[in-house]
Amino acid sequence: MQRNLLQVAFLGAVLSLMAHASTISGKVAGVPGVSVIYVEAIAGKTFPVPAEQPVVAQRHLMFQPHILPVQQGSTVEFLNSDSVAHNVFWPSVGGNKKLAHNLGTWPQNEKRAFKFDAVGAVPLLCNVHPEMNGYIVVVPTPYFALTSESGEYKIENVPDGSYSLAAWHEGIKNQSKHVDVAGDAKADFTLSR
Amino acid sequence: MLKSKIAACCSLVIYLCTVPSAYAIPAFARQYGTSCATCHVDFPKLNDFGKAFKDASFKFPKDDETFIKIPPVILGSPAQKELWPHTIWPGTIPGIPPIGLRYNQFFQATNGNANKFNALLPPGTVGAYIPTTDFETGFFSIFTAGNLGDNIGFWVDDDISVSGANANGGLGDAYLRFGDVSRFLRLPTDSLTAKIGQFELDLPFTQARAYDISPYDIYTQTNIGAANPNFPQQFVNNQVSMQDVGKGIEISGGHHYGGYHYSLAIIDQNTSGTPPAFPGNVPSGAGGSNGGVGFNSDSNFKDLYGRLVYRANLDRDPATRHDVQAAGKTGPHTHNYITLGSYYLYGRSVQSISGFTPNGTAPTVLTAREPFYRAGGDFDFNLHDKFDVYGLYMYGHDNNLLPTVTGEATGPTGFVRGNPATFSGGFVQADYMVYPWIVAIMRWDRVNSSSDLLNGYLASTAGAPVTPFFSPFSSVRNRFTPGAQFLIHPNIKASFEYEIRPQQVVYNAANLQSNGVPMRLTNPFRTNTAVVALEFVY
Repeated sequence: MQRNLLQVAFLGAVLSLMAHASTISGKVAGVPGVSVIYVEAIAGKTFPVPAEQPVVAQRHLMFQPHILPVQQGSTVEFLNSDSVAHNVFWPSVGGNKKLAHNLGTWPQNEKRAFKFDAVGAVPLLCNVHPEMNGYIVVVPTPYFALTSESGEYKIENVPDGSYSLAAWHEGIKNQSKHVDVAGDAKADFTLSR
Repeated sequence: MLKSKIAACCSLVIYLCTVPSAYAIPAFARQYGTSCATCHVDFPKLNDFGKAFKDASFKFPKDDETFIKIPPVILGSPAQKELWPHTIWPGTIPGIPPIGLRYNQFFQATNGNANKFNALLPPGTVGAYIPTTDFETGFFSIFTAGNLGDNIGFWVDDDISVSGANANGGLGDAYLRFGDVSRFLRLPTDSLTAKIGQFELDLPFTQARAYDISPYDIYTQTNIGAANPNFPQQFVNNQVSMQDVGKGIEISGGHHYGGYHYSLAIIDQNTSGTPPAFPGNVPSGAGGSNGGVGFNSDSNFKDLYGRLVYRANLDRDPATRHDVQAAGKTGPHTHNYITLGSYYLYGRSVQSISGFTPNGTAPTVLTAREPFYRAGGDFDFNLHDKFDVYGLYMYGHDNNLLPTVTGEATGPTGFVRGNPATFSGGFVQADYMVYPWIVAIMRWDRVNSSSDLLNGYLASTAGAPVTPFFSPFSSVRNRFTPGAQFLIHPNIKASFEYEIRPQQVVYNAANLQSNGVPMRLTNPFRTNTAVVALEFVY
């Protein structure tokens, strides 16, 4: 009997969570290419660090993917997929030059990892090939999405509530807006250079 | 006459300030979508990857097809190879014409001492005035290079105009390079490569693609000992200098980024420096008369050039040591290394004069074939391109056959062997990379030439000497050249040099002292020159 009650309670909790897990969607206009949309820090809430370690490859003299959003505390692996040596460094994190770091230079098929604890955009550079650039965008919550090339995005499983939603785009100042999530919500951004 | 000679000498000084035809290849940057810094420390100086790219006949040393952003056009399917010899072996051409252009501009400042050479002119003669400051146009050059498939590389560069005059330009290097021919002979990879065409010899340090404003003095040194009739103990008239391009074939092997490297070249000889004047029954040197492509050599003999060098990379990790690029925290492009090398050029300097048969009765043509060689060694110590010190020593030796007169002849009837005409010298240069966009340079050039000393005594109202310096104060001339280079962008560079030249003195050969040495017309002075260059490639 007690076991059945627990099962009912668990099912109720799951249904309750599902009922409050909403979606934020919208479109970023005004700039070409992909952007990162994310829910900014939520006061009093912390989130477990994802176990998954995304990979940024250096392939064909390019960082791939060019833009990678990750949750704060994530560890990113940098894999050299080219037959030439690559270096990875960043001159700042979120504009803070004190967080500059040089991972070094390594040959093909080797990788190095780094844990990103600070929030902000990390411009990735290679001092062997100055034309190479990429970005890791470290965001404070697990609620983020990379837009499509046409600017459309969808952030799923966002609990109902009021949030500050931010848009990051390469070379453009961040834009934020308030969004109330109760069921599916929509938030469009118009960015300009 | 004298005025024109002095003007020619002044032009020579300016020429010496501007002569290096340096090239970077933005055509490659376009094809691979990569920065100049991938291959250059400070264009046109190559880093290790640039050396490997060149060694691979202008391709990425591995997986080239994955890096090239503009795919080559295929001239026949690769499967056509299976039909050979019943079809043409397929190849490729670059997807876009790989063309680069370059322009540079100079500003020079010198002091009024340069005008002291006007003291050689007869009183009242208007001399060529050398201004203390001068804007000077440099080169506008076109260059194209790339790969045609099957490890066949090509290179052509040409100065379309020099100093603003289109007629002053000329072809630099132009060749096909058949890379890794060794694979057909089952020899180790890259142990045999062939280059055919017109090219700079495999010098220890390139002159054509040096990044200094002024050339290395020892590379411009010729051996001319016959210019001064007052001092007839030398008869050599060898216009060959190491910076000259050669026409012929070069085989080479090994790599420039580590381990051994050798080259052997057989090239046309032209010790007179000018195409021979032909009668109308053969094509002319310029190809103008009687059709054909003409002849430019003045001798049957072919010069032979060889070079052997070993470079030891000094990285501790064996894998890193043998890789094309060194790895490290700061991502250096180039290993720490030390290079030791040697080189040797052998040729024959031909001089023909009117003379008489040995009995002195019948006029004839006397021909002296004077063997000569240039030999030396070189070193290069490089710390990740941050600090690079390098230099070379050269010894030049020409057999010296002196005309002799026998019997009752009124002119020369033969030759006797005199003391060889020799010179020696070299340079040491240190480059320090202050920032990736600033390089500080210090160079010391030294040339010791007894011929130049003797030729300098010709300075008189009868004519100016033909040596690079108007009148040497001694047989040794040293030049110190501090400088700096600033990359404004990866393809725009400002350079500065201050050339501290050797002391010079103007003599009057028509007025000899009791010891036979000509009287001085002026006290020793220097013609130091500051040169600023601004250049861009695109």
